[in-house]
Amino acid sequence: MPRRFLFAVLILAACRPDGRTAGRPAQRIVSLLPSFTEILFAIGAGDRIVGRTQWCDYPPAALAIPSVGDGMPPNIEAVAARKPDLVVLYNSGPNVTAAKQLERIGIHAVLLDLNRLEDLGPAARALGRLTGLEQRAESLATVLDSLPRQPPPTSRPSTTLAFIVWDNPPIIIGHGSYLDQLAAQAGARNVFGDIAAPSAQVSLETIVARDPQWIAVLADSAAPPAPPAFAKRREWRAVRAVRDGHFLLLPGSLFGRPGPRSGEAIRRLRALLAGNEMGAQHAAPLHEAPRR
Amino acid sequence: MRWTLLVVVAVLALIAGVVLGPAAVPLSELLRSDIVWNLRAPRALLAFLVGGSLGVAGAGLQALVRNPLADPFLLGLSGGAGLGAVVAIALHLPGPWALPIAAFVGALAALGLVYRLGLIGGASLDPRILLLGGVAIGAFAAAITTAIVSLADAAELRNAFLWLWGGLSGASWDSVLLVALYAPIPLAVLLAASRPLDLLALGEESAGYLGADVEAVKRRVYLAASLLTAAAVAVSGVIGFVGLVVPHISRLVWGHRHRSLLPAAFVGGGALLAFADTLARTVVAPRELPVGVVTALIGVPVFALLLRRWTIA
Repeated sequence: MPRRFLFAVLILAACRPDGRTAGRPAQRIVSLLPSFTEILFAIGAGDRIVGRTQWCDYPPAALAIPSVGDGMPPNIEAVAARKPDLVVLYNSGPNVTAAKQLERIGIHAVLLDLNRLEDLGPAARALGRLTGLEQRAESLATVLDSLPRQPPPTSRPSTTLAFIVWDNPPIIIGHGSYLDQLAAQAGARNVFGDIAAPSAQVSLETIVARDPQWIAVLADSAAPPAPPAFAKRREWRAVRAVRDGHFLLLPGSLFGRPGPRSGEAIRRLRALLAGNEMGAQHAAPLHEAPRR
Repeated sequence: MRWTLLVVVAVLALIAGVVLGPAAVPLSELLRSDIVWNLRAPRALLAFLVGGSLGVAGAGLQALVRNPLADPFLLGLSGGAGLGAVVAIALHLPGPWALPIAAFVGALAALGLVYRLGLIGGASLDPRILLLGGVAIGAFAAAITTAIVSLADAAELRNAFLWLWGGLSGASWDSVLLVALYAPIPLAVLLAASRPLDLLALGEESAGYLGADVEAVKRRVYLAASLLTAAAVAVSGVIGFVGLVVPHISRLVWGHRHRSLLPAAFVGGGALLAFADTLARTVVAPRELPVGVVTALIGVPVFALLLRRWTIA
């Protein structure tokens, strides 16, 4: 809650009556989050983006825009060199500092929250206001607003999964994250949904005990889809889904960020789970591992 | 009496490591459980071996450089290992053992450089230069690591730091076997140097008069302690504090004779790490704490208590 309040304050601070926001729509935008880049393209402001991060790889047209680096934290001079009249940043500690520095050199900087599905609509509306494209932003926001409200396919999902972010130490995705929402909307239950944090370190034996049917990993979009290296490690063979090769390899560009394609990500994940379920029934293991 | 107590504590730590865990395994199924056999047992044993190795390496190095602040990781090995791990990730080296091997190679490279620096004044290994060289090489490797992480594209590079502080999550029978075959050699070298290490406390010159081959001992101790630490970092990342505080605690209880100090540091270090890892896995379950946090939280109060008793007595 305090964060949301902070967000409101920051938006208010950003929209101070200095004449630049209220009146003229932004014409030269630097977008420092792939999700913002996607939203800006979706509302028709893609041709006004003059700078992006190296991670902004969608839509393909975004790749033609000059990159200002990885944005973590933003390189202020590289951003300023693009002569923007608006910089949009993800609301995080280092970015708050960066936004202040940008304001100090007379560049309008706006911090937006984008952590979960319900942040998408407000983010789209805010970007609509800043670009003077309120109507298109509103219609996009309406669609995005409905995403978290859509009831999952079944109220008590039978399919279970665990998102593994890193294997040593094992880092998993908890309840407070976008990926957890994505799984729920796709009709699967995150076995670590009881952990409030967005991500957390757990013991391998906890993963074994919770016995997810699927291990979901975000795959580098550039690399060919292959099971992660830890699948071959002996200690990971204690996890049933790893032994059975039940991996969901999710391209990070589509699944790793909330954005206009979140609906597509939910549909793809749902299809993947449904298809795999049939496949899994097909290839039922001959000797089931002893279950406790 | 002291020995009995220490061995009992160590055995209890190992038993706790196998019996306790975030997953509920009924006692009746303890011996049949996959979790116990393939996860807890190798992890407890690895913790014991790594903790013991770090304890002995720390005791040896503190005697060698005659500095109570010496820690096995102070001599540049963690920096080298981190650089190795980051390079392995950046080059997409394949295979489940790529990271540990690269970290080991990185630690060995740092060891070689520091050793070379230590010989800079001639044929005699200067402990002070070893310390300074270790810090310098470690900082240099860390700088290169940070440069690679901030310049390279792969988002997963940031996870290399997680790996470096990873603790014992990667424990398996493979890694236990590896350490069990590897560690005895440097451990034996250090134990064989017990007597000369005692003499070294009197100063290098006096030790030489009393019949110690000072140069050979210094080299052997430095290389053996570093090789132990390099293996530890490859299987469990950087685990702070065990190698610093366990030798001091052992010295307070067992005195300065290395023939008993080194075995005590081994069993004590093993017990501390096995116990700390059990706590790391269980106290905030289903989440897990980094084991280095727990070793410091247990080690410092015990150390302070012993220090107080020792200075008052």
